[in-house]
Amino acid sequence: MREEMLRMERVTYRNQSVTELDNFSMTILSGEIMGLVPVNNDGLEALFLLLKQNLPLHYGYIYYHEKLVNEWKKTEGGTNRISIIRNESSLAQDLTVVDNVFVLRQGFRKWFMQPEVLKKQLLPFLEDIGMNIRADAYVDELTVFEKFVVELLKAVVAGSRLIVLDSVGTFISDSELIKLHGILRHYAGKGISFLYVSAHFEETRQFCDRIALMENGHIIKYFDSKDKKPDQFFIPCVEDYDRWVRTQLKVQEKKQGKAAFEVRSLYHRNIRNLNLWVNAGECLVLQDMDNCALEDFFFLLEEKKPESGQIIVDGEKLRPGMDRRIAVIQELPAETMIFHNMSYFDNLCFTMDHRFRKIWSSKGMKKSIISEYGQFLGEDVFFKRPEELTVKQKYDLVYTRILLQNPRVVFCIQPFRRAEVSIRSHIWELLERFLKKGITVVILAVNLADSLALADRLIRIKDGTVQEVYDKKDFIKLPVNTPWLYLYKEKYASESGEDKSPDK
Amino acid sequence: MKSKKLSYLSKRILVAGIVGIALITVLLFCLSAVAIVWDSRFWWCVLGGGIIFTLNLWAAGMWIMKPYQQIEKSTRLFLEGYTANEVSGNGEVYLTPVSRMMEERLQGMLDVSELLRMNKRQAQYLALQNQINPHFLYNTLESIRSEALIAGLTEVSDMTEALASFFRYTISKVENLVSIEEEIQNCETYFKIQKYRFGERVQLDIECDREEREEIYRCRLPKLTMQPILENSIIHGTECKLGAGHLKIHLERTARRLVIRISDDGVGMDEKTLSDMNERLQKSARLMSNQESETKGGIALVNVNNRIHLLFGEEYGLHVFSMPGVGTDVEITLPAITSDREIPNKEALG
Repeated sequence: MREEMLRMERVTYRNQSVTELDNFSMTILSGEIMGLVPVNNDGLEALFLLLKQNLPLHYGYIYYHEKLVNEWKKTEGGTNRISIIRNESSLAQDLTVVDNVFVLRQGFRKWFMQPEVLKKQLLPFLEDIGMNIRADAYVDELTVFEKFVVELLKAVVAGSRLIVLDSVGTFISDSELIKLHGILRHYAGKGISFLYVSAHFEETRQFCDRIALMENGHIIKYFDSKDKKPDQFFIPCVEDYDRWVRTQLKVQEKKQGKAAFEVRSLYHRNIRNLNLWVNAGECLVLQDMDNCALEDFFFLLEEKKPESGQIIVDGEKLRPGMDRRIAVIQELPAETMIFHNMSYFDNLCFTMDHRFRKIWSSKGMKKSIISEYGQFLGEDVFFKRPEELTVKQKYDLVYTRILLQNPRVVFCIQPFRRAEVSIRSHIWELLERFLKKGITVVILAVNLADSLALADRLIRIKDGTVQEVYDKKDFIKLPVNTPWLYLYKEKYASESGEDKSPDK
Repeated sequence: MKSKKLSYLSKRILVAGIVGIALITVLLFCLSAVAIVWDSRFWWCVLGGGIIFTLNLWAAGMWIMKPYQQIEKSTRLFLEGYTANEVSGNGEVYLTPVSRMMEERLQGMLDVSELLRMNKRQAQYLALQNQINPHFLYNTLESIRSEALIAGLTEVSDMTEALASFFRYTISKVENLVSIEEEIQNCETYFKIQKYRFGERVQLDIECDREEREEIYRCRLPKLTMQPILENSIIHGTECKLGAGHLKIHLERTARRLVIRISDDGVGMDEKTLSDMNERLQKSARLMSNQESETKGGIALVNVNNRIHLLFGEEYGLHVFSMPGVGTDVEITLPAITSDREIPNKEALG
């Protein structure tokens, strides 16, 4: 007889009169890996909040570990021993692994620390999951995946019986995901339950026992991983995507011409002899298989000169940090690339100073920008403060800023990360605008989800060097967990069936 | 006796007011003393008085404001249509003795009306029973079956046998709780009858952990809980679908609960319809079923949900999950009980 680890029974949660969770029902059994695919982000943060804290409910009951911890009639308050692991690490960067795992946990009451004893205590945990992490290593020396594993260990040691993993696929690579799967199964066997949140149905299907689809703050359907795979078209979060990818496959055309961006024999920290090029107007996806080179690559674009090798933009060397010929769209741009102390117009135009020096003083120029881009951005947004903008408007602002900058190459770091379905489709459209204008787009990703649909080419980097190069027609050869693979198969398999001599 | 009096907010406000006035008087006295005598020792009295006064305010907040907010929340939920069980707020504190009597009266009235409706349903069964006379019905069906067997019409005889079993279960058994095994058997009988209509277009699977099967099958549940939902799945889900339909009854037992999931891969419902349906199941069946359900449909689900709420409490009942084109799951949550003595609200059995 299995134990119920979490039961949320018809929970309605309102925050400042806004219904965040509406009649939300979910059960997670002991040792179960439950997938959660949010069609939109409505209610997701509230769910995380309610899992951690027992806040007053409008209606419903929450049971954790078979015990009623929160009910609408009366709220005792307090917190639940549930850990949430996200991209933003909650580890103390300046402390060692062992300090993070043991010393910083709730309930550690020793007056004197014995590092050697703690190290010995950590060892069985690491051996258990087949990880080789130095117990005395500082957290900021670890790779993203190692940090993730340390957080997981911290949760396990702290006695969390339910661990929430939020959008893990966006910050760890495919090979690491496979390792992670093994670790999760190991702990699931010991009775620990997981809530695996991912925007991709395909990804959750690989890992989870059951998958819950969440829309507008409630669960609309559960899928059992043993069940027959439902028709993709009916799943709301992929329906638009499917349509979009199919359209993309139809309109694809080979971009040829001069290389807009080139990397020659590049060496810098984890990068080892990296050579690559991208044509003007081409979309390239750079996938970091072991998740260690992209950070260095991004660093070179923004700040430093490489140890050796060359980065060339439009035939000339890149000037790191001050070159307007390249633009970088960071992760979660709606949060990281909007400056709240600046007006909307300033936020929009501050990177086009190299094009028009009198942009701040010329009223005519200001008017013409508003009239030209107002059609796309909306007339009213120019009078709003940045914090009043919707997420979609924030994305529009950042991408239009880059469009006004008119760079030769745009680097997008995980552009689809944590964006809900409607926003993801919109990001696609925004990236398409760059391509239509002849701007090269380079998507830096650790996971292929979403990015591949737009790509003309995929380059996979491993150990800091180019491992594999795939043209669009070769996407069919990618591993089975690639999103939308069935669409590529549909198109290119049929083509190769008809045409006996495929273009190689 | 004292504590009972203090379970009224009116009394609490009176006590807190008296204590507050007393403290203010003492504080004023201390302040005047300080002003007149100017002895530094009095400052400690003033400080102590201030702390006690602040504590009094905090206690009043916890003792008066919090229960008041709880009562207000309960009343608002009741007005929104949530269940009437909680009309009396947190069950310990009342506004005044009169309001307590009013709440109890209201509670009693609602319970009586619910019981009346339960009895009415019971009476309907009885009336049907009396009108038809089950023995006459069974004998007739048995005669048809014999005739069919003699004529070599095995299908007709099987169908008649299934129909007789279904009626026997639905009409004859008057007790309210049955075992899962009996309910499953009735579902299979019902499905057998439907199979004659739909042929291979419908399939039914019953899933349950083999090791726990015996234990699950012994659990008790209100009679005719599963069959109306199965009927709904066939009629609203599978019948409207092109091609074959698969129905599944999944049974699972946890330490305290029994979860029955009846799924179909039929037409499903859109998010708005699903949301409305779950809202109706969540909110007071007493209010909603009277006014809306007869026009909106889904009476079977609401009725089954009502009975579960009445018998086992608010935390059990039905919840629907559905997606257009994918199918619908109806999840029934019940306490895992194996004896009728374990029911919390036995009077509701009628």
